[in-house]
Amino acid sequence: MIAETPAAPSHPEAHATIAMPTAVPIAVQMAEIEDTVHATQGHLGPGWLLLLAAAAACIGIGAYSWSLIIRFGMQYTGLNRPVGWGVLITDFVFWVGIAHSGTLISAVLFLFRARFRTAVYRAAEAMTVFGVMTAGLFPIIHLGRPWYAFWILPYPNQRTLQINYRSPLVWDAFAISTYFCVSLMFLLAGLMPDAAALRDRTQGLRRRFYAVFAMGWRGTAEEWRHHGRAYLFFAAFATPLVISVHSVVSWDFAVSIVPGWHSTLFPPYFVAGAILSGVAMVITLLVPIRRALKLTAIITMKHLDLLSRLVILTSLILTFSYSTEFILALRAGHSPELETLLYRATGAFAPFFWTMVVCNCLLPMLLFFPRVRGSQAGLLFVCIFVNVGMWLERFNIVVSSLEHNRIPFDWGSYHPRLAELGITLGSFGWFFFWFLLFLRLLPSVSIAELKEETAGEHVEKNEVAHAA
Amino acid sequence: MQREAGLLALFADPNVAANAVRAARELGQLDIRAAMPAPFPELLRSIGRPRSAIGAITMGGAVFGALAGFALTIGTSLRLPIIVGGKPVVSIPGFLVIVFELTVLFGSLANFLGMLTGALLGRRRSFMPHDPRFTRDRIGVFLPGAGPALFKMLEQSGAEEVRHVG
Repeated sequence: MIAETPAAPSHPEAHATIAMPTAVPIAVQMAEIEDTVHATQGHLGPGWLLLLAAAAACIGIGAYSWSLIIRFGMQYTGLNRPVGWGVLITDFVFWVGIAHSGTLISAVLFLFRARFRTAVYRAAEAMTVFGVMTAGLFPIIHLGRPWYAFWILPYPNQRTLQINYRSPLVWDAFAISTYFCVSLMFLLAGLMPDAAALRDRTQGLRRRFYAVFAMGWRGTAEEWRHHGRAYLFFAAFATPLVISVHSVVSWDFAVSIVPGWHSTLFPPYFVAGAILSGVAMVITLLVPIRRALKLTAIITMKHLDLLSRLVILTSLILTFSYSTEFILALRAGHSPELETLLYRATGAFAPFFWTMVVCNCLLPMLLFFPRVRGSQAGLLFVCIFVNVGMWLERFNIVVSSLEHNRIPFDWGSYHPRLAELGITLGSFGWFFFWFLLFLRLLPSVSIAELKEETAGEHVEKNEVAHAA
Repeated sequence: MQREAGLLALFADPNVAANAVRAARELGQLDIRAAMPAPFPELLRSIGRPRSAIGAITMGGAVFGALAGFALTIGTSLRLPIIVGGKPVVSIPGFLVIVFELTVLFGSLANFLGMLTGALLGRRRSFMPHDPRFTRDRIGVFLPGAGPALFKMLEQSGAEEVRHVG
């Protein structure tokens, strides 16, 4: 079996290669990689089934809660004047944010040739697709009457009515659906060679299942020639797309004139927050996955260490954004903007605000200590709380601004109802249901890229040996 | 896809395979096909195929997407010319978001379909014997119509196995 490379937090770059002596032939190493990744699916036992059942139960709770809204109306939510957006829109922004790091790790780090992405990008990409699938449900649920959702699409109709392309909500529909399509194609393109490898070693139904994802792949030089270029273009498209999507989500708020929302700071602030929550979720998932699937030799502590540095970076950017928001409001003197921000820090949801500050700004700073970064429990602790903090951040932005608008006459309060919380629980069930199925059915690590990287390492080692 | 006769050699090391491909080219064998479990740059370079033209297809898709974005937003707004929020009927800055998303969407679709079509056409046009080991741990080099001189060269170049196909 493959041996785990020891953690070395100070190491500048982690390589997803296997700790084997140079003398081991490259073919043996490639076979070993494939066997290790393929064996992961066999490691998932009753625990996996139990988690899948729990996820399905959560989906059931969510579906029942949604059915209450469909059958009896929006009275089953806490939404009323002046707070028309609540937990459901908070969930939407949260899940779009979760979806972001997959593309960051997959596309942006690919363009920057960051080799540590190889071992972790497949799980992150899958997380992106399932995250967008979850996020996309919320605007439809929030409608109350989901059968009218198609009104957001441009379709020919007898009344010659057209949608308003100046509206950020229409931008959102286009951005989210584009993001889902591109993320899915990016994931499928990467999966093709791996599915072909698994197709060629399995029989029966599994073989046919992998053949669907392999799309006829045979590994010819001609196929690799097109695949390499296509992958590069996917990365080039996905990089600006990842920035645009959360910018568009931020414009849902920033384009309005509500105090606490109307700010040019929002797009970069939202993008940084999305990356923070996304990377934190990737770490939260990778820590148990690498143990459950016995992938500790491929997804090493070095990879988690490098990802945790991204958490520190994005947390610092977010802290800067929070401070800038306050400083800008202070410099404007007495303004509704300042009033709203002070309300966030001292009003009904002040505990949420301060928990958010602790989770997003202070706790990630613990990762500056190599001992915390090098400990799985420490990483998990920080990253789970970052996700809690990021959900609270979105809740604070959405709710507190609407509760405390410009005129005191228009002030009000919002209390989430059980149906909304049930739908939130259901969204977690929906996300984890698909993710657990993915772990069981498809390779959670890129086999082909690991082979390529191992071959490259082999050549480098041989060259060094020859030079010596 | 028509079966072709030729020599199929199996290699365990991509660099050894690349050296064999270069030697075959020096012996006048210009039609060289290969299959491998991962994109080994050295080997792909030695085969000497030009860069994939998929960029042109992707660019075509992206340009189509941009034009479709402009046509959709401007066309439908002019069909229902209502001023909303005091903004002009044709509000280009707002429309640019839609144009960007459609550019990326159609560019990516063209990229994906171009990749699949290129792979499919490649399989149809040039026969390459398949072996499950080519997607696992071995590299296959196929020389269509190759003679005994190349057989000997392949054996000497470090191939694990050389055989006649077709």
